[in-house]
Order: sequence, then structure tokens, then C-alpha cells
Amino acid sequence: MESFKADVVIVGGGGAGLRAAIAVAESDPTLKIALVSKVYPMRSHTVAAEGGSAGVKLPTDSLEYHFNDTVGGGDWLCEQDVVEYFVAHCNEELTQLEHWGCPWSRTPDGHVNVRAFGGMKIERTWFAADKTGFHMLHTLFQTSIKYPSIKRFDEHFCVDLVVANGRVQGVVAIEIGSGEFTFVEGRSVVIATGGAGRVFRENTNGGVVTGDGMALAYRHGVPLRDMEFVQYHPTCMPGTGLLFTEACRGEGGFLVNKDGYRYLQDYGLGPAEPSPRNKAMELGPRDRLSQAFWYEQQKGRTIEGQHGSVVHLDLRHLGEAKLRERLPQIYELAEQFLGVDPARAPIPVRPAVHYTMGGIMVDGLCASPLPGLYAAGECSSVGIHGANRLGSNSLSELCVFGKVAGVEAARFAKAVAPGDSASLLKQAQVVEQRVLGLKLKTGGNERIATLRKEMAQTMEDGCGIYRLAETMQKTCDKLDELKERFKQVNVEDKSSVWNTEWLLAIELEYQLDVAQSMAYSALNRRESRGAHQRLDGFEKRDDENFLQHSQAHYVAGGAPRIDYGPVKITKSKPGTRAYGAAGEKAEQERKASNV
Amino acid sequence: MNKRRPYVRPMDGWWRRNPFFVEYMIHEGTALFVAAYAGILLNGLLHLSRGEAAWNVWLEGLKNPLYIAFHVLALVAISYHTYTWFKIMPRTMPPVIVGGKRLPDGAITGGGLAVAAAASLVLLLAVWGMAR
Amino acid sequence: MSENQRTIEIEVLRYHPEKDKVPYQQVFQVPFTDDMSVLQGVQYIKDYLDGSLSFRWSCRMAICGSCGMMINGEPSLSCETFLRDYYPARVRVEALAHFPIERDLVINMEGFIEKLESIQPYIIPKEKRTLEQGEYLQTPEQLNAYEQFSSCINCMLCYAACPQFGLNPEFIGPGAMALLHRYNVDSRDGGKAERMELVASEEGVFHCTAVGYCSEVCPKHVDPANAVNQNKTNAAADYFLRFLAPKGGAK
Repeated sequence: MESFKADVVIVGGGGAGLRAAIAVAESDPTLKIALVSKVYPMRSHTVAAEGGSAGVKLPTDSLEYHFNDTVGGGDWLCEQDVVEYFVAHCNEELTQLEHWGCPWSRTPDGHVNVRAFGGMKIERTWFAADKTGFHMLHTLFQTSIKYPSIKRFDEHFCVDLVVANGRVQGVVAIEIGSGEFTFVEGRSVVIATGGAGRVFRENTNGGVVTGDGMALAYRHGVPLRDMEFVQYHPTCMPGTGLLFTEACRGEGGFLVNKDGYRYLQDYGLGPAEPSPRNKAMELGPRDRLSQAFWYEQQKGRTIEGQHGSVVHLDLRHLGEAKLRERLPQIYELAEQFLGVDPARAPIPVRPAVHYTMGGIMVDGLCASPLPGLYAAGECSSVGIHGANRLGSNSLSELCVFGKVAGVEAARFAKAVAPGDSASLLKQAQVVEQRVLGLKLKTGGNERIATLRKEMAQTMEDGCGIYRLAETMQKTCDKLDELKERFKQVNVEDKSSVWNTEWLLAIELEYQLDVAQSMAYSALNRRESRGAHQRLDGFEKRDDENFLQHSQAHYVAGGAPRIDYGPVKITKSKPGTRAYGAAGEKAEQERKASNV
Repeated sequence: MNKRRPYVRPMDGWWRRNPFFVEYMIHEGTALFVAAYAGILLNGLLHLSRGEAAWNVWLEGLKNPLYIAFHVLALVAISYHTYTWFKIMPRTMPPVIVGGKRLPDGAITGGGLAVAAAASLVLLLAVWGMAR
Repeated sequence: MSENQRTIEIEVLRYHPEKDKVPYQQVFQVPFTDDMSVLQGVQYIKDYLDGSLSFRWSCRMAICGSCGMMINGEPSLSCETFLRDYYPARVRVEALAHFPIERDLVINMEGFIEKLESIQPYIIPKEKRTLEQGEYLQTPEQLNAYEQFSSCINCMLCYAACPQFGLNPEFIGPGAMALLHRYNVDSRDGGKAERMELVASEEGVFHCTAVGYCSEVCPKHVDPANAVNQNKTNAAADYFLRFLAPKGGAK
């Protein structure tokens, strides 16, 4: 088995991982960094983010507004001190990306331009047309090439963490190209592996988004926090789930039902005005919009299509020129995948799973309870999204907390003594034998694809936009059954080079663990908050009992143990979460009562 | 014990694999006619330098039906070469900005062809005028 | 599933380094609906017909650059190429041309990554600026000058379209040159002189014979042929200007 001795190991080469790597390199050029990623970094799913990245920019805006939008948008399940740090550092990080070459869209005088986004009081979303994630990722990847201390392990699939003496001391990875194992030793490890949206059937995520890092930490006793909060994005392509960015509505697009009626006004988001006002109608938050879709469907006011019910995203009034300039990728997606010219016809859309708000529990410095283990980005729960994430906060999160994780992991690595390489390697070899066993064992009769499909279906059935105890229980039972059946999984391919079937089996096992944490957390949260909405007697938010983070703990061979932890409230007391005219009224009342 | 063994596919006959490559090879092939015609003209110049008699021998030679056939063939080949040359032109030059907008590829190709046609016509007229 | 489901033949070029001396064709019968991409067809094969088939993919929406393949001989992103456009004929799928095949549809892209790393693909600031000073000013026109070249998703279809790269794998090639050009023409960058050496080198732009197919197949309208050919002019100008203005050109 090969081994490589680094100081800091980073797992995941997306936005957060790359930002962390650069932060380590800049904080101390003598530290050796291993960046382990199962795909070449520019393939990471950050690439698919479209609309933009939030950071206070306009003179009419303020950090306080961004804070309030984020905390209210998260239905008060946010760590408010962390949110405060976050909003204060967005602009700086996005400016840093600008200095590194990110092609932000500009105003005529050359400043970075900002656009409106859902749930945001003032325009503060920096954008690079509708390919913001793509440009941010490529900028970070290409900039990372500048730093000689970053040693990349591209197309290396991480299969386990090595924990010794109560702290993490490295990772074990498979070189996909050869099927050989490598032990990457490090005095600290940053997990930045992204979300887990692929555990659901209809989702916007790339094939790589399988919750690997979450499962790795979870199996080593780190709790997964707030996993029941899974974001449904309201405007996705029927069938494939591909995303039509929120920027479509930020630029002025409408959502209409089968009668051409802007139905959001019926769900407390009105009044309907010719161009959507911030925090109203189409610029409401994602959870509310997806929930409104569900009600429209119940009322029979959606349109029936080949892949289920849809509503229409109408961009026609924006005109071809503006669409080509601001939303070029959306234009091409609609044309190529749906045969729809968005300047001439509305785009059929429906909600699909987009983002996991929860993740590896970390504090405001990205440190998990396991010493030496840090996490950043979608795989982590640093506490800024609460029960519902606002669009454009996640790209900023990658930069702000990617940097924090890098700096902190570097600091930790310098503070601890190097481990005993020989005994760590022995531990890694045990991992190797276990993982090889999954491939080499014979006699299994379960097909990977079958188990994966059943998992994705049961997650959609039980943990969708609206949830019931009965169906959630069924999902939990089904997941228990699938985990049992996984023991009989059959990996036909026994070879070494590019054995992707083997990798799929490992990913599926990760996914089943993460799915369990979601379903059990959901079942146990007996209230409705943000993206977790119940219809079985728990329709209201219950601050008395559930203004708490749920924490799922891994139990080998059984269901996760769920307990709860406190939410940090600093300056925003939980209030009514309202949008549209009602939201403005609530805000005025809040102000009046504060005086 | 690395089991990788990347397979490199041969490049033999690569230009037959795709219509685009075939067109490219024809384009490159027609350049031979340009070269051949330059040779013919040079030969004429050589004869001219040896006096009137030599020049007339060269002129007489041009009247050979085989030579005329070659001229027709060369005209077709060189015309095609001209066309494909201008077709690739937008790919070889910096963007042309007119009135804040980028000139489309078709306009550059069309413009090039028009200029080539006009230049040929002017030359033809000039020669015709001198010959009269 | 849909009632108008039909079956199409997908012929895949298979190669397994641990078993095969040379690649061979294998045909699969794949049920498909009108909205299915070639990628989804290949995924169907892996899920239900032959789990050993290997290929790269991720985003499914033509932005991650993973799933480039030769489809009926043309370099294409398999996620945005649709089976319906080939039916009822058979569709042929093969690993991207001009690259070594690791296994099945997976190519070895290490060479491309080395090229990408060699071009200094990052801003070398013309003038330093601190974060407190805010962003560099860049007008929409200045952005426009390089934006197209910054849209490269590194899918390498252009390399599969470039016979010169096929004949000489050392050639820096269209994609990497487009990115080099992207930084050279960025108003914030001052690193052009440092990059010019590579442009004019053995592996540089002069391998290009203006076939132009790279730009035809580019799924993101980057027009890499344009970047390569503009840099032929730049390299030539650089070479001659050295004699005219000793302090002007590179080195």
C-alpha cells in the first residue's frame, strides 16, 4: 500500500475544499497539503451552481439585513453568532475571488453587479451570468495550481478516516485508475465532500453528490446535525430534475399555474406586482415556493406532463436579448433538453431535491467534535442555513468557511505532534482489506441499481415536501431493510482498473447511512419548520420543544440515535416568518416593539 | 503491481474518419494547384527574360488543349481553396467590433469573398483594357 | 414509464486492460424514451445489462465536462446528445479520440491536466490591489474580451477533434490555449509576457494547421481555434518586435 505524509488532508475538491487548500497554503507555505478528490476538481458539483453568491454590496444594504434574511429564512434554527461572522465576511471573500480572476458580471462603470434573489431584502447576489458556480470553481481550481504545497490526489476515492489516540490522523483512498489503495497521513483532515441530494429520486445534483464525507464522519461518531432539512428547489426540469436557477425569478420571471395565474399570491406571498418585489411572490424563499406547488397540485391547478405535474416558469416578458445576456445557460438547457424557446414559450417546472441544509456538526470554526476533523461547505452543518437555506448563501459559504476550515486545520496540524506512521499504516491496511472484501466476496444476489432506486423512491415518498409520521416510519423501515439487503449486494466486477461498479457499491453504503439519518431525524421532529413540514398534527412551529438542532448519532447495525442540542440565539428572537405584504407588516411591528 | 495499460489507438487514415477532415484535406490539397500555377507563371517569366521568341514559344504552349484543361481544373481548385480559406478566416483573427457589437463570422467570410471577387474582376478588366 | 418506449441499439467500444489486448465492439439493446440522452442510455447498460461498463459522468447538464465521448464518430457531450436523434439506426459510442483509453469509455487525461497546469492559469496581477481596496474595475467590454474563453469546461472534445494533437500528443492543443488566451486578454492580468514563451515553443501554437474542427465541436462556443490562431499572430509579432524594440517583446 502506498502512503503519503501530508500535514493537512482535504477530502473533496469542490469550492470549499479548494478554498480550504488555498487557505492552508497561504497561512503557512511549509505545510504539505493533500487534496483528495474522487473526481478532477473542476468536475465537482460546485460547477453546477447557477444563480450567484451573496455578499452585501449596495450602499442601501447592510450586514444586519443579510443577517435577518438568513436567520428568518432559516426559521430561526441558525447559529446566530456564526451567521454574524458569515455575513461580515462574504464581501471580502467574493472580492478575493474577483482578484483571482472570477469573471463576475459588471455594471457599465466596471463594478461588480448584483441581482435579486429569493428571500433577500436587498439585491446582494454577485453573479457571473448564470454560471456562477462554474466560474467560481474554475477560478479556485486554476488559482490553486499556483501553490506548490498543494499535492492533488485527483480521482482518488476516500473510503475511510484513520482515527488514533482520539484524533483523526489521515484517510484511506482508492486510486480509481489502478484500484490501488493509498494511505494519506495528516495531522488534521478537512471534509469538503458536498451534499447528499442523490439519495432522493428527483434531484438537481450531479452523480457525485452521494454524501461520502458525511457518512465517513458519522461512522466515526461525529453527529450529523439537522439532517431532516432537505431543500426542494421549486423550479426544476421534470424527469431529470435539472435546475432552472432562482435567478430566472431574480431577473423577473413569473410562476403560473395551468390557468396562467400567478398562484403564489394565494399563499401569503402577494401582492402580485408586474415585477416581483424582493421577499415577495416569486422572490419568496424556496421552501415556501415548493410548498405552494404542492398545494396547487392538490387543488388540481397544475399541468399534467409526462413526468408528473408541472407549473410554468414564464420568462417571455423578459425578451430574448436579456435572457441571452443574463441567463444563457438556462436558455440553452430549455432549448436542448425540452425543445422550449424560453423567449417564446413558458418552461415546465416542478420542485426537486437540491440541497442538504444539515451535515457534519461543526462549531463556528468548522471543527467537529472529533479532534483534528474539520468540515466546510454543504457536507457540514456550521449553522448558517437553519431549517431552510436562502439561495446564493451556499456559494458564499464555500469561500467563507472553506477558508476558516483551512486556517483552523493548519493551526491544529502545527499544534499536534506527528503520529506513529507505522501503526497508522497498519490501521489503513485493515481498512483496505475490509473495502476489498466488498468487491471480492461472492454469492450476493442484490443489484446495486435496484437498491439505489428503492432508496431514492422511499426517500421521496417519506421525506418529500410534506411529511406524515406514517410514511416517514415506512421510509425508516424500508431503509433498515435496504441496509440489511445491502449485505447481499453483488459486485460483478472483480477487476482493479476503473472499477466503477465497486465504487458505486461503496457510495450506496454511504447513501444508506445518510438517508437513515435524514429519515429518523425527520420522524423525530414533531413540528413544522422551514423545509420540514408535517401534515399529521404537527403543522405549527414548536419553539418550546423544537427550537433545537437534531443530532443523529451512528449506531452500528441499527437505527441512528437522535438527540438534540441548543440553538445559539444572539440578537434575533424567533418571530413570525412572513413574506410579501404580510412580511413587511411583521417587520414594521418587530421594529416598533424593539423601540 | 499497477494494472493500468492505457491503449493508444492508431492514427492511420485519420483524415477519412470524419467529413470535416476530408474537407480539410481537400482544402490543403487544392493548395497544390496554387503552387503549381505559381510555377507556371514563373516559367513564363523565365521565358520572357530570354526574349520575345522564347516568350512566344511559351504562349503557344499554353494553347495546348491539355494545358487549357489544366487551367480550368486549377480555376475550380483555387476557387474552392479561396472559399474554404475565407471560411476559416473568422477563426484566425481577433474579434472585429463594429458599433459595440461583434461582427458575425458570416459577415467576415462574406466580406472576404466579396473582396476577392472584386479584386479578381478589377484585375481582369485591367488586363482586358491593356490588351485592347 | 411512457407508452412510447422503443428499443435502440447502442454499440460501445469496450476495452479492459486486464483482459483485452485491443478494444472491441459490443452491442446492447436499450429501451428508451424520447427525452433520454446517450448518457442515460449508457447508464441503463451499466445498471441493468452490464455492471462492468466504465465511463465518467456527473452533472447531466453539460457544465461539469466529464461525459465527453465519440458518438457516431463525433466528439460530443453524451448528456446533451439524445438517442431519439439516431433512432432507428444504431448509435456508436467510443472513448474520446486521440487520448489513450484507460478502460471502456474512460480516457487518460493526465496529459491535458499537465498542459492546463503549465499555462499559468491564474491572474498574474498587472497592479497589486488589497482586499480593502475592493474589486478591480472591469467594464462589460473588458469582460467581453475574455469571457468566451473563460467558458471552457475542460471537456476535451476539442482535443478529440484535433488531428494535430492526435498525431503529436505534445501539442498544447486548443483547450489549454483558449485558457491561456483567456488570462492574457483579461484586463487585470499582466502575465502575458511570461506565457508567450510557451505559446511560441516546440509544443506551442505552430502545430496548429487551422483545421478548425475544434471550434465546431465545442459545446460552450469557446472557439479555441480562434485563441490558437490569434496567438500565432501574437507569437510572430512578439518575435519580430524584439528586433525593433528590444524592451518590447517577451524576454
